[in-house]
Amino acid sequence: MPLHETEAIVLQSYPLGEADRLVSFLSRSMGRVRGVAAGARRPKSRFGSTLERMSYVRIWFFERETRELVRINQCELIESFVDVFKDYAAGVALAVMAEVTEAVLPDREAGDPSFRLLLLSAQAIKRHMEIDLPLAYFALWTVRLGGWLGSFERCARCNKQLAGIPAYASRAVSGVFCGNCRGTGMKAISPDALNAGVKMLADRLDKIEASNIPKTALRELSRYSLDLIEHQIERKLVSREMLETAV
Amino acid sequence: MPDFAPSITRLIDELKHLPGIGQKTAQRLAFYLLRTDREQALALADAIREAKEKIRECSVCNNITDTDPCFFCTSATRNKKTICVVEEAPNISAVEKTREYNGMYHVLGGALSPLQGRGPEQLKIKSLIERLKGGTVEEIIIATNPTAEGEATAVYLSKLIKPLGVRVTRIAMGIPVGSDLEYADEVTMMKAMEGRREL
Ligand SMILES: [Zn+2]
Ligand SMILES: [Zn+2]
Repeated sequence: MPLHETEAIVLQSYPLGEADRLVSFLSRSMGRVRGVAAGARRPKSRFGSTLERMSYVRIWFFERETRELVRINQCELIESFVDVFKDYAAGVALAVMAEVTEAVLPDREAGDPSFRLLLLSAQAIKRHMEIDLPLAYFALWTVRLGGWLGSFERCARCNKQLAGIPAYASRAVSGVFCGNCRGTGMKAISPDALNAGVKMLADRLDKIEASNIPKTALRELSRYSLDLIEHQIERKLVSREMLETAV
Repeated sequence: MPDFAPSITRLIDELKHLPGIGQKTAQRLAFYLLRTDREQALALADAIREAKEKIRECSVCNNITDTDPCFFCTSATRNKKTICVVEEAPNISAVEKTREYNGMYHVLGGALSPLQGRGPEQLKIKSLIERLKGGTVEEIIIATNPTAEGEATAVYLSKLIKPLGVRVTRIAMGIPVGSDLEYADEVTMMKAMEGRREL
């Protein structure tokens, strides 16, 4: 039974049995892993608050050869996000990010970009208590890292520049199209949203000023990206519905 | 999976629906039940049936009860000026065990949890607000679990209730009795500092 040590972000945790917790976490070195923290629900558990959702932790766990679930041995808090959940909308945004990560990333496949994306987006929400930019950034980059995003600058069919002309897209096809190449069922996507998308794909989240981008464009981008994600995972995101009533 | 007689397979399948019970445990329980004497096994079946038939939710506080309204809501000796808000009905017995509390209860039916599709609409929050309208209630004690979801729910409720002029308090959280400060993580320690009191 090899012991692993890695940085991780707790995605979800559910009660298991009498006093245990089933924890799904995104680790830096091994990707998405699920494990059991024995006794974690007891008041005097050595895990304390470390396994709360979105906690950024250093975690030690044993792999068990015949089982899918690892055994979590120890956990230390690097950064807590518990206080973010005091703001309902911010808590829902974190929940959407956790659910998306859980749904799109395969089991045990290390992906440092996904880890950094989740961490930086969550930290941005915590720092500014503003969700539109971090959520749009997170959703857009998730689609990009998943390889389901086309260019925002040129028509996906005829390669025409999209700046200044009406553009169209749908959740079923990657890429954005000009008016001539528009397919059935495609919806208009605003120039503001395309511009914001181009900016976000070119820069780090902390370099982008939320005040320079209209909120409507950010929300349009979030919707577009989450639509693509739902199309890929072939189901609705449970937490997304909460988002619509929270903001 | 080995082939069992259909009635055993059915029993195993039913047991598997219980939380924390997988195939192996379900098999073990099923064969245990088959080995015990008839009366004992049927007593279990009977207890389940009776509980399911008689037990319902209290129409006032959502506690699990066999009389509606429940024992707490009808008791003449309990203090109607405070309501202790808990996530689930079994949490009431944890508060009752202290023998320190003599007020009323309100069961929310969980905590805010977007990942499980539980928003404010899915919790029994409206009926709690209704209970405050009579003007009898002076204090709401929020005893949701000390988890991220429980905290989010507590803050959400306090934002809703405070404007109604009702005092809102939260049970203290922090270092468990009998443990060592050395092992407390920073969130637990911070909660303990927030909840400190004069000696
Ligand atoms: Zn075109
Ligand atoms: Zn009652």
